[in-house]
Amino acid sequence: MNIQKVNVCMDILKKDLGEGFIASCIIMTEDGQVLVATDQANIAEATLLNDATAFIRNALKTYPAELGQYYYVDVAGTMAVLVIPFGDYQWTVTVNKKQVKLGLLLNVVLPAIINAFEDAVVS
Amino acid sequence: MGGDVQKDFKLIIDNEEMSNVPAPEAATKEELQRWPLFGLSVGSFLQVIAMEQQTCIMEVYLNTNNTGHFCFVEGELYDSVCGDLNGENAAMEMIAWENVRLNIKQILNTSSVDRKIDKNLMLLMMESSRRRDEVQENGEHADLEMEDVETLEDAEVVADDVERTKLDTCLNLMSKDMGDALRAASIINISAGKVLAFYNDDPDTAESFLRLTNFMKTTYSNETPFELGDHLIMDLKDQQTLVILMIGEHQWNIIFNNVKCSLGMLRNIIMPKVIRTFNEMNVG
Repeated sequence: MNIQKVNVCMDILKKDLGEGFIASCIIMTEDGQVLVATDQANIAEATLLNDATAFIRNALKTYPAELGQYYYVDVAGTMAVLVIPFGDYQWTVTVNKKQVKLGLLLNVVLPAIINAFEDAVVS
Repeated sequence: MGGDVQKDFKLIIDNEEMSNVPAPEAATKEELQRWPLFGLSVGSFLQVIAMEQQTCIMEVYLNTNNTGHFCFVEGELYDSVCGDLNGENAAMEMIAWENVRLNIKQILNTSSVDRKIDKNLMLLMMESSRRRDEVQENGEHADLEMEDVETLEDAEVVADDVERTKLDTCLNLMSKDMGDALRAASIINISAGKVLAFYNDDPDTAESFLRLTNFMKTTYSNETPFELGDHLIMDLKDQQTLVILMIGEHQWNIIFNNVKCSLGMLRNIIMPKVIRTFNEMNVG
């Protein structure tokens, strides 16, 4: 993994989300250790969402379906969390849902950061 | 209401058989020829017209003093008139009628037809049924006091069935709007952990989604300073999306094809309509 490129991913995220950006964190899925986190990142929440992803994958088996590129968690109040599982890594992005439109987040920001992150991982 | 009413539906009207039909008292043969359809309840016929998306006027004859009509445009109930009543009140009055005779006339020009009924036909039928049950219930109230506990338990089961029927109506409405984009849906009572209604889904899947939201709620509540909000959106493989909504006592799980129906369409058009229907029925 190219750490400089990962930092570039974070920069893209902050730039695209503007004031709607609250925090972001990338963790290793295997042990829940943090690789990169911004200042306001809630590490405990990011680690718990790692467990949540495993729970979701398991729950979807009964339908049956498989988790795709992301899931979005509405949090009471003004926050929401976009979770992007990437195999060995999981990226959580916390936004102010009052300032970030869901359409912008899912259709513009998400594809851009997925491309940038895939580039960082293979480098 | 107006419209250019000109043409009878000849194909489904069989006047030849009129002489064999038992006639309501005090009705002349000429009168009955105006209402040649019989043998179906008003509700059944209304559903057929809605399902076939017909544009027509359905005239209803109960007896010489009780007649009226429903006006449909492309399967949507626009208006109804019954004596001094019109709109929803007239519709609910006539839906409760039994042993009626009917006639259907096509509306050729709908430009002057004003819509006076906004409520979904299914809602009107349920409301009419509820009113009729209330009347019966009031009549039987004295007898009910003498019934034992077992009967009251039966009443709870019936109430449960009524709630299920209402929720099924919501899912049917969603299915009608989304067409084959809707892959599966279910509604669960959160506190009871009971699956109340489902469409192309099975109770095991619905319960696993409930366990998932319970896990998320507990995790957020116990391990973070935040609380889980009222929805989750999950991108699934094979162009599917799962939306989980927690509305009061109920959890809605909706899986749909995100190419045939966008998330924006579901969130902004379909769900508000379904939730409005849900609230209008006072579920829970």
